[in-house]
Amino acid sequence: MRRIESTGWGRTLHSVSSEFEPRTLQELQELIGDKGNPRGVIAHGLRRSYGDSSLNIGGVSVDAAFLSGLTFHPDSRMVTVGAGVSMRTLERASLERQLFPPVVPGTGLVSIGGAIAADIHGKSHHTTGSFSSCVKRIQLLYSDGEIRDLFPEGPSANHFWTTVGGLGLTGIVLEADLELIHMNEPSVLVEETRVNNLEEMLTVLSSSDANYQHTVAWIDLSGDFRGRGVVGKGNYVSHDSTVEKTLPAKIKEGASLPFPKISGISLINKYTVRAFNEMWFRKPLTNGISSIDSFMHPLDRIQNWNRIYGARGFLQYQFVVPEGNEDFLAHVLQVMKDLGAASFLGVLKRFGESSPGHLSFPKPGWTLALDIPAHIDNLEQALNSLDSQLCARDGRIYLIKDARLKPEFVPLMYPRLEEWRSIRNNMDPRGMWQSDQSRRLKLC
Amino acid sequence: MLNAFHSPQSVALIGATSEIGQSILKALPHDNLETCFVVARDPKRASNSLKKILPSRTKLVEINFQAEQTQSHKEIIDQLFAEDDLDIAVIAAGVLGNNPDLDEASNALDVMVINYVASAHLMLLIAEKMKLQGHGQIEVISSFAQTRPRVDNFVYGSSKAGLDFMARGLSDKLKGTGVSICILRPGFVRTRMTRLMPEAPFTVNSDLVGKLAVKLLKSGESVGYAPPILKWVALVFKLLPSSIFGKISNR
Repeated sequence: MRRIESTGWGRTLHSVSSEFEPRTLQELQELIGDKGNPRGVIAHGLRRSYGDSSLNIGGVSVDAAFLSGLTFHPDSRMVTVGAGVSMRTLERASLERQLFPPVVPGTGLVSIGGAIAADIHGKSHHTTGSFSSCVKRIQLLYSDGEIRDLFPEGPSANHFWTTVGGLGLTGIVLEADLELIHMNEPSVLVEETRVNNLEEMLTVLSSSDANYQHTVAWIDLSGDFRGRGVVGKGNYVSHDSTVEKTLPAKIKEGASLPFPKISGISLINKYTVRAFNEMWFRKPLTNGISSIDSFMHPLDRIQNWNRIYGARGFLQYQFVVPEGNEDFLAHVLQVMKDLGAASFLGVLKRFGESSPGHLSFPKPGWTLALDIPAHIDNLEQALNSLDSQLCARDGRIYLIKDARLKPEFVPLMYPRLEEWRSIRNNMDPRGMWQSDQSRRLKLC
Repeated sequence: MLNAFHSPQSVALIGATSEIGQSILKALPHDNLETCFVVARDPKRASNSLKKILPSRTKLVEINFQAEQTQSHKEIIDQLFAEDDLDIAVIAAGVLGNNPDLDEASNALDVMVINYVASAHLMLLIAEKMKLQGHGQIEVISSFAQTRPRVDNFVYGSSKAGLDFMARGLSDKLKGTGVSICILRPGFVRTRMTRLMPEAPFTVNSDLVGKLAVKLLKSGESVGYAPPILKWVALVFKLLPSSIFGKISNR
């Protein structure tokens, strides 16, 4: 083991821990079998959680990269995939067999273990639900060193749904069986609509969900913050599509450019953001075929784009609020405007049904995700105030994106927290699984 | 645990009746603050003052602290880490002494025990615990008086010099552990402790010292002066020949 300093994707929190890179399952079991570090163990994949979910200061961090198995089941849509495999790797291997994961996030650079621990969602949530909807088995390493298979139904269902969205605090996911969907062509038929304000955006999103498998809106967080933006809608292209002849011959991989290592300087200010957002709002709309990679993972076009926020890093404030609270969305935009919190990335989407995961984030309503530079004055107080209002409106924030929530809000936002905690403590009586987030939010 | 804004959840104020210590607590961000350990000879009195400064949601945990009872120190520090991580410890325990002459050894002993022995011992104990949790900041209130011995305060100055020396050494040793030490060297500060003394040049209020102390914590620097100009005054003091320094300091 070596001591390393790690940080979440938002680069606001830094954590020194002992990094363990097992080569075999036996090595991992030996670590778990030891008396262990009093600061516990947490597994990590590609460290795309924004805050401290994958950090374990003073404790042990287990790199799940060695869990790299990928086996497609013949004559079915099932795949057994190791927890350390990236979504991008799974997608590419699946497409070669005309299959595809039904739920993918905005980046392909999340591990399957991370996708389960966060019960991630994507643009398809209104039709597919969250990632757990395609997970048919989880193989979990418990703190007693035993390996058990968990299923969404039956006697192990409680442990399954505690692990889904459970932030890695129930054990180490080793592998999972996923049910994929058929995908004839690696393409999406995309239609984009430019909207001039929040009301229009909500109307277009609401009316599109019935006809499109994927819907999402980019919202302009600059200028007058009135909620103008671009709504993207898409359907997978099928064989009988009239546009078949225009399909790309093979899987197109969008070019991925590295972001330079600038020494701690933030390139985010109201002028740069205003200029970029104006250009993005005015860009020619896509109305036609797009490669699946560039449609699903627009964030991956620039590697390490998180460096753009400089040494102080950034937060992503993502929440969901039930329908009927549209005024709250407008209020949040006004708060951002008052703070001068201009940003490139604001994403709005309407969620479908919840998953049975105790701590799973999505639930019916509007979800808004905002990237905000951490150095903005009075941001902490403003977000605390929004959290409080969110609780009153039966909303919640996404824990995998969190780096600053107050612990007292968690049970209000996640009313099944106590039930989750009870099952979790039963699964891990040694208190082995810990993270900086579990300590900060007093989850365990 | 600190949050993304580096706002602490848990802090300890050692020597909690200290006005400088309380000013530091006042200047720290409070939005995330859940627990404040009030470690003092009279923790009730310290708590009453801190209640006016801290938000009502912050839990004040009173801990009785007798500096000279060094055998009790470990138990005190254990209490700070019993439940959750401790993010920041401010060591502000200190006395000026009653202008001790060379032959008033018993008076000097109090100063030495409180300012150096107890403070340094607690600092070492806290550092050991913070190393285990892998993070934490210790802010030590040293003094400009440790720069160079002066006839009117060399006992006080020597006790702060010892503490300062210990803190610098420990700070180096802790590199790479996630634990850091900040040493604040205030000049003359208007407080109850100094109200009967003539003010020196660059005298400041304790509120300003508190703000500078918090700025130092955030900066990542290990040493700071309050006011900052004293850094340069200290440099001059160190370079002056004894004959000239003696004439200036005895004025």
